[in-house]
Amino acid sequence: MTNATYKLEKSGRTFLERLFEPPAIGKMSPVANVTAYAILLFWSAFVLFPIYWVVITAFKDAQTVNEGPYFIPFVDFEPTLAAWRTQFLSDPFCDFYAIGRQIVLLAYNSAAFIVSPVVSLAPMEPQICKVYLAYTNSLVISIVSTALCIVIGSMAAYALARIQYKPKFGNIVMFVILTLVSIVASTYAGVHWLASASVALALFFLLARAFGKHFKGQLGNGDILFWIISQRILPPVVVVIPVYMMFQAVGMIDTHFALILVYAVANLPIVVWLMHDFFAGLPIELEESAQLDGATRFGIFWEIVLPLTRPGLAAVTLLTLILNWNEYIFAVFLSTSKAQTMPIMVAAKNAGERGILWWEMCAIIVVMIIPVIIMAIILQRFIARGVLLGAVKG
Amino acid sequence: MVSKSAGVPVVFDKIEKSFGVVRVLEELSLNVEPGEFLVLLGASGSGKTTALRIMAGLETATSGRILIGDRDVTEVLPKYRDVSMVFQSYALYPHKTVAENIGFPLKVRKVPEAEQKAAILESASQVQIEGLLDRYPRQLSGGQRQRVALARAMIRRPSVFLMDEPLSNLDAKLRGHMRAELKHMQSALGITTIYVTHDQIEAMTLAHRVAILEKGVLQQLDTPAKIYNDPANLFVAQFIGSPPMNVIRGSLAGNSFQTDNAVVTVNPTGQIKEAILGVRPEDCSVVAAGKGSIAGSIYTTELIGDHTLVTVQTAKDKLTVKAPKDFVGKDGDAIGVEMHRDHLYVFDAISGERLR
Repeated sequence: MTNATYKLEKSGRTFLERLFEPPAIGKMSPVANVTAYAILLFWSAFVLFPIYWVVITAFKDAQTVNEGPYFIPFVDFEPTLAAWRTQFLSDPFCDFYAIGRQIVLLAYNSAAFIVSPVVSLAPMEPQICKVYLAYTNSLVISIVSTALCIVIGSMAAYALARIQYKPKFGNIVMFVILTLVSIVASTYAGVHWLASASVALALFFLLARAFGKHFKGQLGNGDILFWIISQRILPPVVVVIPVYMMFQAVGMIDTHFALILVYAVANLPIVVWLMHDFFAGLPIELEESAQLDGATRFGIFWEIVLPLTRPGLAAVTLLTLILNWNEYIFAVFLSTSKAQTMPIMVAAKNAGERGILWWEMCAIIVVMIIPVIIMAIILQRFIARGVLLGAVKG
Repeated sequence: MVSKSAGVPVVFDKIEKSFGVVRVLEELSLNVEPGEFLVLLGASGSGKTTALRIMAGLETATSGRILIGDRDVTEVLPKYRDVSMVFQSYALYPHKTVAENIGFPLKVRKVPEAEQKAAILESASQVQIEGLLDRYPRQLSGGQRQRVALARAMIRRPSVFLMDEPLSNLDAKLRGHMRAELKHMQSALGITTIYVTHDQIEAMTLAHRVAILEKGVLQQLDTPAKIYNDPANLFVAQFIGSPPMNVIRGSLAGNSFQTDNAVVTVNPTGQIKEAILGVRPEDCSVVAAGKGSIAGSIYTTELIGDHTLVTVQTAKDKLTVKAPKDFVGKDGDAIGVEMHRDHLYVFDAISGERLR
């Protein structure tokens, strides 16, 4: 054994070593600090500049846009309200009562839709300017479809997180074959679709009962979950033509209902997939305890599970809302005038004979950003951590 | 003060449980007397928690019946069984206050608000947390959370209490304190209680009767004293007692037990090639070298406080002997161990069965 000692001397550090040495675990070295803030500053500028650009462009006119890049209002250029005036005031219906009229229209048309099986009421034609119409359309469509998504999606996700499903592969194949047969029968053989569908359904129950227990191949919750998310893997462009044909066949092109339905279906997989993880991460003892305490399954979901997954729920709601708010491809196919949404309005400013109307486009975008910011502020209160603290030992 | 309940009997009738090919419980049959405090004791993986969860209805048995009172509840949903459970993790609802936590069972039963309030206060005062009713679980210490869980279990006065290692998350001092309170509360309420633990001290101190489980098989069901003094087999003998019972390998011929360097006379008789002699540390004593039943040398000594534990190395085994606290001996000193034949247990080394 040698007598050598192996010590690290604090005083022996070089200047460079001192620059790179963090003062404590959990703190950063001086160099790392400077680098981190430099990157953050650069990135903030990178992200915020387009928003700044949109806001100032909304207060320009054709001349100031085309003459060259001006960035500082009152110094480079004189801000005007020209874009806002043409957008919101030039239309004869764009007056103080536009919003009220739109609410009356919406209420009347929804009532007409509800009573349509009994009494046929002619839907009221919109009589307000396009921007207000698109704005209210966007609000109604994205809020209702998000609510649908969250309600259905979170319940589906909870079921998948807690109940073990074991569908037999053979049964699924059988169901698909029978569905195809009934479609073929009603399309080519002239059988009434109600008859072919009920026969197929009855046959399916009969066969599943007779042969179901002999099928070996079994699927689990993981397969179901993957099947659900797989519907979001393909881009919406792939399905937009068939979806258009479907809604055309039932005469529902350019209705709120069509867009709400399509948006809800399109985003349901995301909600299920994300919420599943939140539900699966809850300690199951809480639900078992509530069960022993006498709560019903829905009671457990409502009183115990949902409050504890509130951060996740808020985040997923915000995400779905933004996806629906910004959706373009379905809207462009499924709406022509009455159900037009804001993204269509923005894109329309790109297609005039006068070239791209940047200032008008930016005015619409500014208006479009506002509700998203409000929702983000409301929901971020809930996206806080530490809800589960104290649930189990800790 | 809550009136003492008459208590209901609980019966496990040939309960079997398997997860796939793994058998967790094998024909578990238990009769729990009305108002009894029964402890299910076993190492982890012995099936004790599974038995409790089957009782609660959180798991279904593969076969067998569960009876509460004269009611067959095997197929009954947990909430209709009238049992309440205290979980190891307490399972308090973190977004509800203490009062809301305790009152939850009454809330789902739609008990009138005023009645709920009175019941919450009564339940809370029974576990001395009436001052904490407005707090949230995260603001409580481990012991306080434990009390909230107990109060929530008590508030609806169930037929049966189920407790799944309720004290294991507490520190040692608090555990001793809560143990005494739990025992007092159970005898005051008179509610049949099934308590799962791996801690033999808890089992011995709390239980009217202890059921020892190992690998899903019931080893012995008896009072703590009988379990300690009259173990049914080698597993029970070694599981209960701290430090555990000494075992000496050897063979039995007639009533003399032969090991490498000693012959010990025992009470049971038989002819067994591979036998085990068991003796508890307090039932033997150290004597001078050359005397006593078995000779050996001191391996180490540990002063515990009121006594000294002497580990003696014999030919093949190490024996722990409880000696007076003033015992003095150097490691390696030759020494003898004296045992009394009335305090010796003989087991079949292969089957583990006790010879009587």
